[in-house]
Amino acid sequence: MMLCADMTKRLKHFDLELRFSCAPGQITAVVGPSGAGKTTMIRLLAGLERPDSGAITFGGQTWADPDSGVFVPARKRGLSLVFQEYTLFPHLNIRKNVAFAATDMDRVDALMDMFGIRHLAASKPAAISGGERQRAAFCQALAREPVLLLLDEPFSALDVATRRNLRARLKELKGELDIPILHVTHDLEEAVFLGDTVMAVENGQVAPDWLHRQCLLPQQ
Amino acid sequence: MKRIAPFLLVLALVLPSSALAADLLIAQAANFTSIMQDEIIPAFEKATGLTVQATYASTGKLYGQIVNDAPFDMLLAADESRPDKLYADGLAQKPFVYAQGQVVFWSLDTKLCAQGWKAALQDPAVKKIAIANTETAPYGTSAMKALQAAGIWDAVQPRLVFGQSISQVFQFASSGAADVGFIAYSSIFTEEGKKGCFVVVDEAPPVVQAGCILKKAPNPEAAARFAEFLASPEVQAMKLKYGYK
Amino acid sequence: MDWTPLLLSAKLAFWTMALIPVLAAPLACVLAFGRFRGKSVLDAIVTLPMVLPPTVLGFGLLVVMGPRGLAGAAWEDLTGGRLVFSFAGILIASLIFNLPFAVQPLRASFEKMDSRLLESAAILGLTPVATFFRIILPNCIGGLAAASILVFAHSLGEFGVILMVGGSIPGKTQVASIAIFEAVEAMRFNDAFLMSATLVPVSFAVLMIINKINARRP
Repeated sequence: MMLCADMTKRLKHFDLELRFSCAPGQITAVVGPSGAGKTTMIRLLAGLERPDSGAITFGGQTWADPDSGVFVPARKRGLSLVFQEYTLFPHLNIRKNVAFAATDMDRVDALMDMFGIRHLAASKPAAISGGERQRAAFCQALAREPVLLLLDEPFSALDVATRRNLRARLKELKGELDIPILHVTHDLEEAVFLGDTVMAVENGQVAPDWLHRQCLLPQQ
Repeated sequence: MKRIAPFLLVLALVLPSSALAADLLIAQAANFTSIMQDEIIPAFEKATGLTVQATYASTGKLYGQIVNDAPFDMLLAADESRPDKLYADGLAQKPFVYAQGQVVFWSLDTKLCAQGWKAALQDPAVKKIAIANTETAPYGTSAMKALQAAGIWDAVQPRLVFGQSISQVFQFASSGAADVGFIAYSSIFTEEGKKGCFVVVDEAPPVVQAGCILKKAPNPEAAARFAEFLASPEVQAMKLKYGYK
Repeated sequence: MDWTPLLLSAKLAFWTMALIPVLAAPLACVLAFGRFRGKSVLDAIVTLPMVLPPTVLGFGLLVVMGPRGLAGAAWEDLTGGRLVFSFAGILIASLIFNLPFAVQPLRASFEKMDSRLLESAAILGLTPVATFFRIILPNCIGGLAAASILVFAHSLGEFGVILMVGGSIPGKTQVASIAIFEAVEAMRFNDAFLMSATLVPVSFAVLMIINKINARRP
């Protein structure tokens, strides 16, 4: 099912105005300078915030349309969101976390195997490493068979090796999941590696030439 | 600060006032407050030119303060036992009686008074009976004796609620929380008291209120003058007006 | 020595501690997470019992819980008994009096929760109510324990409000604090001392237990 987003929101320093769509089985990498509104965009798609105007639809179902007074809250959208830092529930062990919104326990175990955290099933989030927590967060997001996957800089806090590993996993799963995936990242290499499309957001607007401008900058 | 201000205000009003340069310091049992404050002290001050400072609290508290050397000149108690004890312990001069109170049966419900107090207590509509603490409050002791004399003390036990002071008993009865109460006759004359009906409890022995001048009094002559004043016909008239003898 | 007042105090403190989360948790939740006009008014109302002199609060409760008051009349219709001068009455008074002492620590621990956890719960499909019971409460045991300690200790010492609405009925509403006061008034200093001396180690023991429970949680 296709995600179509047309949203505006007044922010502190500028107005967010975005119009784009994402097809199932495709990863749309979202890049841009910090403070450009990328996280707000994710939050609007997730249903954690309301747009001022426009419409967000998914597979024909309207998720948000302020002019018609429609707003489907986050919990009813059936999507998954992975934040930059683990948001696992501290009082539950890893397995219970992963299985939190899942119905198929075999899928839970399979995912944990795939991401290499099966052996941590009984541990609590506080007892494992940051990389392991992020893997668990991914498993939790995927275990519930989401209709849409939103990723807000999911690998930023990880070491290079883990980052490469998880990147590869994600690319592998893309076809199998067959859902639209939005991946916000500040790592341009990652964006190009993962993204079937790369969308740059600058000052709340889609900036088609932003990526090109980055290439003209001296290499870090 | 805004939140604390009203609290501080009430605190200041409740704390016993400190002894400023008054000519006479009296420890007064609380039940006698209004007559003392509004009539007797102003009259005495006018007649003698002396200034009087009174502290109003329960007799028990005042007694406790006195045995711990609180600087009062005299104690005007709600009973005889505390002045007697001070005298026996050598802390005070011989006690004298300054007023007599009477226990009355009171209720907001006039139908109950009409039956007479003994019959009213049998009425099933009377679910809670307010009485002062029988151990520490003389009005409570007196009411208890009346109930015992009438042979119904045991029967009313389950329905009794105890006020710490006679004024709390009146509060229970006048708010309707208790259906009836054994209160001081003097309460009848108050605005709240007039809203209900009363029956004098003849079987209740009069509540004899005694006072004594303390041996350690800083102003014994002023105290003696006040004691004399309390026995005067002028004060006698005030007492009758307020429901005392 | 008569143990009844001490047992009654313990009973009152225990039931207050057991029931107060039911009242305090939703209020703390609304104050911590809610965003609505009049929130500061609600905050002030909840804090009021802490600031009002006990006698003022007690008198207000006496009127409301008395047979002619709103709560008292309803109670009599339901149960046929009187609300004032009953254990139920002093328990209700105790709950109201202790409310701010439970709401404050609970609210603080709710506010310390990472909002992303709550957002995560929402995205994963939990309703606000389910989030409260499955995510917020289990992660705020520290706040709950702190609230329990405060409330238990506070209830043991309660005097003014209980005095006003209780009627000091032996076995029903004559709690230890009132019994000690009466003993002092009646010059039974030995009794007063014995009761006071028992309250201290009992309170101490309870606080130690609750602190131990609190320490074991992460």
